[in-house]
Amino acid sequence: MLLSIVIFLPLLGVIAIALLRGLGATAVKGIALVIGLLTFVISLGLYTGFNADTATFQYVTQKSWIPGLGTSYHIGIDGISLWLVLLTTFLTPICILAAWNSVEKGLSGFMMSLLALETGMLGVFCSLDLFLFFVFWESMLIPMYFLIGVWGGERRIYATVKFVLYTMAGSALMLVGILALYFQNDNSFDFTTLSGPFEHSHLLFLAFFIAFAIKVPLFPFHTWLPDAHVEAPTVGSVILAGVLLKMGTYGIIRFCLPLFPDAADKYTPLIVTLAVIGIIYGALVAMVQPDLKKLVAYSSVSHLGFVVLGLFSKDPAGIQGSMLQMVNHGLSTGALFLLVGMIYERRHSRMIVDFGGLSKRMPIFATIFMIVTLSSIGLPGLNGFVGEYMILAGSFVGQAFSKVYVVFATAGVILAAVYMLWMFQRVMFGTLDKTNEGLPDLNAREIVVMLPILLFIVWIGVYPKTFLSKIEKSVEVVVTKVQAEPSMGHLENPGMQDSRFALRETPRAQHEKIEKEAQQ
Amino acid sequence: MPIEINWQLLMPELVIALTLIIVLVFDLFDAISKTVLGWMTIVGAGIALWVSIQMHYTGTVGVEFNDMFKVDNFSLFFNIIFLVSTILVTLISMSYLDRGGRKQGPYYLLILLATLGMMLMAAGNELIIVFLGLELMSLSLYVLAGYFRESPASSEAGMKYLLLGAFASAFFLYGIALIYGGAGTTSIPAIAEAVTAENKSPLLLAGMFLLVVGFGFKVAIVPFHQWAPDVYEGAPTTIAAFISAGPKAAGFAAFLRIFMEALPTLQVEWSGVLILLAMLTMTVGNIIAISQTNIKRMLAYSSIAHAGYVLIGLAAANNDGISSAMLYLLIYCVMNIGAFGAVILAKTEDGESLLISDYAGLGTRKPLLAMFMTVMLLSLAGFPPTAGFVGKLYLFKAAIGSELYLLVIVGAINTAISAFYYLRVVVTMYMREPEEELEFSPYASTLVIGLVIAAIGVFLIGILPSLMLTPAQNSVF
Repeated sequence: MLLSIVIFLPLLGVIAIALLRGLGATAVKGIALVIGLLTFVISLGLYTGFNADTATFQYVTQKSWIPGLGTSYHIGIDGISLWLVLLTTFLTPICILAAWNSVEKGLSGFMMSLLALETGMLGVFCSLDLFLFFVFWESMLIPMYFLIGVWGGERRIYATVKFVLYTMAGSALMLVGILALYFQNDNSFDFTTLSGPFEHSHLLFLAFFIAFAIKVPLFPFHTWLPDAHVEAPTVGSVILAGVLLKMGTYGIIRFCLPLFPDAADKYTPLIVTLAVIGIIYGALVAMVQPDLKKLVAYSSVSHLGFVVLGLFSKDPAGIQGSMLQMVNHGLSTGALFLLVGMIYERRHSRMIVDFGGLSKRMPIFATIFMIVTLSSIGLPGLNGFVGEYMILAGSFVGQAFSKVYVVFATAGVILAAVYMLWMFQRVMFGTLDKTNEGLPDLNAREIVVMLPILLFIVWIGVYPKTFLSKIEKSVEVVVTKVQAEPSMGHLENPGMQDSRFALRETPRAQHEKIEKEAQQ
Repeated sequence: MPIEINWQLLMPELVIALTLIIVLVFDLFDAISKTVLGWMTIVGAGIALWVSIQMHYTGTVGVEFNDMFKVDNFSLFFNIIFLVSTILVTLISMSYLDRGGRKQGPYYLLILLATLGMMLMAAGNELIIVFLGLELMSLSLYVLAGYFRESPASSEAGMKYLLLGAFASAFFLYGIALIYGGAGTTSIPAIAEAVTAENKSPLLLAGMFLLVVGFGFKVAIVPFHQWAPDVYEGAPTTIAAFISAGPKAAGFAAFLRIFMEALPTLQVEWSGVLILLAMLTMTVGNIIAISQTNIKRMLAYSSIAHAGYVLIGLAAANNDGISSAMLYLLIYCVMNIGAFGAVILAKTEDGESLLISDYAGLGTRKPLLAMFMTVMLLSLAGFPPTAGFVGKLYLFKAAIGSELYLLVIVGAINTAISAFYYLRVVVTMYMREPEEELEFSPYASTLVIGLVIAAIGVFLIGILPSLMLTPAQNSVF
């Protein structure tokens, strides 16, 4: 019930705004913010009541919905989805507050899209029924389509149509995969009863994987991302980078790895190669971008490459690192987009050459920007370090692929420092241009927007155990499934009975060692 | 020998026939407002709808007239589709005719006649009855397509439809003749008995393929679709909505009945052809729709593509396939009439604005209209939580059940292609600035009622599909 409230409260907000839009802009913004905050506060209940000692799904609700199609309203969360749910409810009120003064036309439509999007995103993370999952997955497209298309920049229409078509092409394949699974699952869409091995598992794996790879986006499916990011309004970029991209990696760890371990094994070299290409390529392209927003967009391609690398390391530390890095990227990149949006609102330019010496005029802005930049680079003590370190260490000790990949991926960390710091230097230091002299520093609202994100950036960096401890058990289950010897088949029920998932000694020991190192 | 007739089975048809006579008689009186005739049509169709639902619910089924007329859940479900279409089309027609100062009597009369023809097609247990229904429906539609006599486009549409339709009818009749030659009977159950694995005479096969051609023309399947865009564009918009909905469903009703019930033994022969036609129809319809600038033509090509989706259900040739095709036809009728209704609503004072580019800025100037249009187009594109999504998903599911993976992949990719041109209209309405200020005529209440019903239907079936899905699943013959 609690989970249903969290998912559908934003939708209630949509209806409330639709009915009360006549009351004026402030009322609309107020309703949106209250609903956003309320959803976040209620979702905290999910955290406090979450039992970290089990990998089973919690807060489960199952209601009959369309018996004729073998689908039910079945939701629940485990360690994998918990943080993504909280990230979504956390970022939405921040986005509402960040968009306070920047929406000129159609404010009520904007807030309605944002809240509808929140329901869609939460639904994707909580669905335990493939049909329901697909419904949320597709319905999420519409508000995002409007967010970019109506409130975006100059080439918004091109960007939004490209975004929708890419995603739809991917989900078309996934739909075929879902339907094929349905018939192998005793005519039911229920995720929890899915048990392999499946017929045509390699094709099914690809059907799911390509849909998720487009969303991630994995090189070479990434070309929609820079366009969508650059044209989207600030808040759209934040949601896009913060949550939407995570749906791809979430899908991989939820469906691709545990359901089709043998196929995942077979395609690991190819996928990891693409991930490493993405890391290096994203970083190199980011380096030469003259546009701040495009730079951040390409850095996403690079960062998400790390996440995919960690997921396919099939090592507990690597996968946990990926899970954590998904949250980290949502915070850091979300924050970067917010900061770029703030400077754009003042100067109406995002070109790096237009700036320089800003730290003199805008010390608060520069300080926050510095912290976020360092978090994105992966400075020890901030969140990015923990995630990246666990991914790289897990990939190195895990036997899933050659260590050469890890060497190249590590180069990506250095490149990240190059493009981020170089950008920071050109924007913040040097001589202050005359046109930029009148730029005001951040106001109270903007500081309030940034502070919660900074809090978590430091928290995860200093004490990641708060976050990792909830993820552990669920990741173990996934690892057991993907590491199971092919001769054993793979275990049946995705994760209900703990005893069945007694982990083999080696990965467990490795994983604890790495985790300790990460925390030091 | 007195003939015993179970009148109860014929109730829906009788109600429509009675309404028809009442409309005919009242049209003679000049004193009454002609809008009343529209309301009479709606009430009549509404009663027939209610009776059909009751009969479906209570299971009042049977055969009549020497086994020539078969009332079963299948025909009753199709009655529901036809009558819903008729009601919605009448609702969107009333203000359309009124404003143009058109003669209204014959219009409603012909619509009712066409509806009666469709009901005969769905209930025909005998190829001759099916043909009778087909002709009753088609002849009424030819006149309706050319209803605006003074408009060259409308006359052209009527003429074109008549010529090609007559051609198709000839194919169909020739097919019946050949099947009679092969099976020795035109009764559907008797054909099913006569056609065995050993007795597959070439006459039967030739007859079957001629039937495919005949139906192909009627429901606009590629490569027999060329008439559709011209007729849709030229015909009055309400009639375009009507032709794209009810008659298409009727064509598929007879298609399903004949192929699944009379010729299941020949499935090996026809399923391959249908798979090929389905892929061709979806792909050609959707790709040509992309390049259209006129919204009526775009909807015409989209309607061709949707015929292709329905063919997926036929090609699957299992129980799920039949019921998914039926459910999809119902959903399609509601959303397509809704889309045409929105086109009618977007009328300027001096005429119709039919170019997609004219819709720029509608999102802010006419929010209600833009919202209706968006809902219908999203449903046509198959986005959840609208009915179009459920319908398409169920069709795909049926096809996967018959292991037609390639067909489903083609269908799913087509869904993505179709999203492009449906969303382009939405883009134009919400994201582009208008080039010139067009004066839009005020909303007509009946039209808005029709659109509200369609929108509620689209969402209701989208969120609670069981409402219509269970009846559809219970309607397989």
